[in-house]
Amino acid sequence: MKAAKVNLNYKRYRLEVSPPKQAVNHLSERLTRFDEKYNKAVDAGHCVCVTDNAMGNLAFQGHELIQELKLPVRFGQVMIHLNTFHTLSDLHWILDSCGELGIKEILVVSGDGSVRLPKLKPSEIDCDSASVTSVELLGYIRKIYGSAFILGAAFNQYEPEAHEILKFRRKIEAGAEFIVTQPMVGRNELIEKVMSKTKIPFIIEAWMSPNIKLLSDCIGYSIASEDTFDPMACLESLRNAYPANGFYLALLDFKTQFNNFQIKA
Amino acid sequence: MKIVVCIKQVPGVSSVKIDPETKRLIRDGVISVINPFDYYALEEALRLRELHGGSVTVLSMGPQKAEQSIREALAFGADNAVLLCDKHFAGSDTWGTSYVLALAVRKIGDVDLVLCGKQAIDGDTAQVGPGIAAHMKDWPHAAGVSAINGIEDHMLSVNRMIDGGYDECLLTLPAVLSVIKEINEPRVARLKGWLKAEHSLIDIWDADQIGADVNLLGLNGSPTRVVKTTPPKSRDRKTTFFDGSEAESAGKLLYELRIISAI
Repeated sequence: MKAAKVNLNYKRYRLEVSPPKQAVNHLSERLTRFDEKYNKAVDAGHCVCVTDNAMGNLAFQGHELIQELKLPVRFGQVMIHLNTFHTLSDLHWILDSCGELGIKEILVVSGDGSVRLPKLKPSEIDCDSASVTSVELLGYIRKIYGSAFILGAAFNQYEPEAHEILKFRRKIEAGAEFIVTQPMVGRNELIEKVMSKTKIPFIIEAWMSPNIKLLSDCIGYSIASEDTFDPMACLESLRNAYPANGFYLALLDFKTQFNNFQIKA
Repeated sequence: MKIVVCIKQVPGVSSVKIDPETKRLIRDGVISVINPFDYYALEEALRLRELHGGSVTVLSMGPQKAEQSIREALAFGADNAVLLCDKHFAGSDTWGTSYVLALAVRKIGDVDLVLCGKQAIDGDTAQVGPGIAAHMKDWPHAAGVSAINGIEDHMLSVNRMIDGGYDECLLTLPAVLSVIKEINEPRVARLKGWLKAEHSLIDIWDADQIGADVNLLGLNGSPTRVVKTTPPKSRDRKTTFFDGSEAESAGKLLYELRIISAI
């Protein structure tokens, strides 16, 4: 199985769609909402990005939603997040299912744990590190699945520069073929510096929630900003600043924002 | 092998409130979850079924809304579910609760093994598992079970965590076990399981249906009384971000830690 190369700088938006949480309440309705968002994004030519137990909250996996809801998998229009909080058998279940469904883009991240989530052990994936991070997971997927997937990794421009560049190099060596930044609310010197020195495609993550304080909570660093935040204006300025990059939209409001940026895509 | 898993719906750890009058937990309007230790009991039951065949029945005593937690257990793969729901059950202590659960185990019939989590995180008593065994009269019970080694000729071999280590003991079946988290790593339920559980039948039994003596239920039938309960003092937390280079930030952190005598 060999993945065809996708031009990751193509000006297709990657839209984050959170999968429904694991709970029985209103399950059918929540699945319907996911189905609607997914189809809306794919029909408009965008790529749907499904998170993996974001913030440690147990949710359904992207591939099982796609299977169960019989959602279309079009080339380059589905990206699955995959983190290190799985059992080895579940990890293979996810990757094997993605392979069968034709899902190629996998964004490999360390992820957020919780008491209800298992964690991959280094011995399970034949590595001698103290714990499994996205680097070890990338290496393991490459080793077992070869070039079946287009693997991506995250770049956290809010972390100290030397530390993050070292991690970036290790991720590339382990098999990452594209990078997704942490949410940006303006130009970033570190991102520009790293992009200028590498041919690895960078996908710029834009923060689409008006709640800018939430971004600080998510990344663990205080983002200096005005009280009011206009995500659409921010996206526009990021598009102007990084015209050659692909964009990943986090926390997009499908009701109020989808039609606005669709016109500009 | 016919296995019963007792689960309890408890308030999410961040939402515990206590009624100042009754000294009981306020359960209305708070997020409810399966008692975390019960996941290990459920997982072990599912693994035993996978090894030996048979069925897993989830059993819970609680209000109607406990049905949510029961459906979650069904999503993991339990075969049957029973909710014990009756106004007479309300306020039962661990003795009254284990009496009700034991009657339900009898009604289910031909049960080989009852599995419980080591304790519920709301009451922290660890008494219901042993209580069920006591009400079942001649059933053995093992607490702190960290491994089930095997089953042979109606004998169950288990490891128990004891002070300073583990011991291995044999129990005749039927038996009751209270398991600890070292016993396994609970699986994550899958969407197919949830979809099946959404429409699964849950048997709801009241005091009459299990043949309970109402004088042995609720506050009146409970030999223990909670005379005072106080919530833990909330710990004040604040976050401080240190600006500057790594060295400057580290220096500022060191200064702050010294001020509060943390180092």
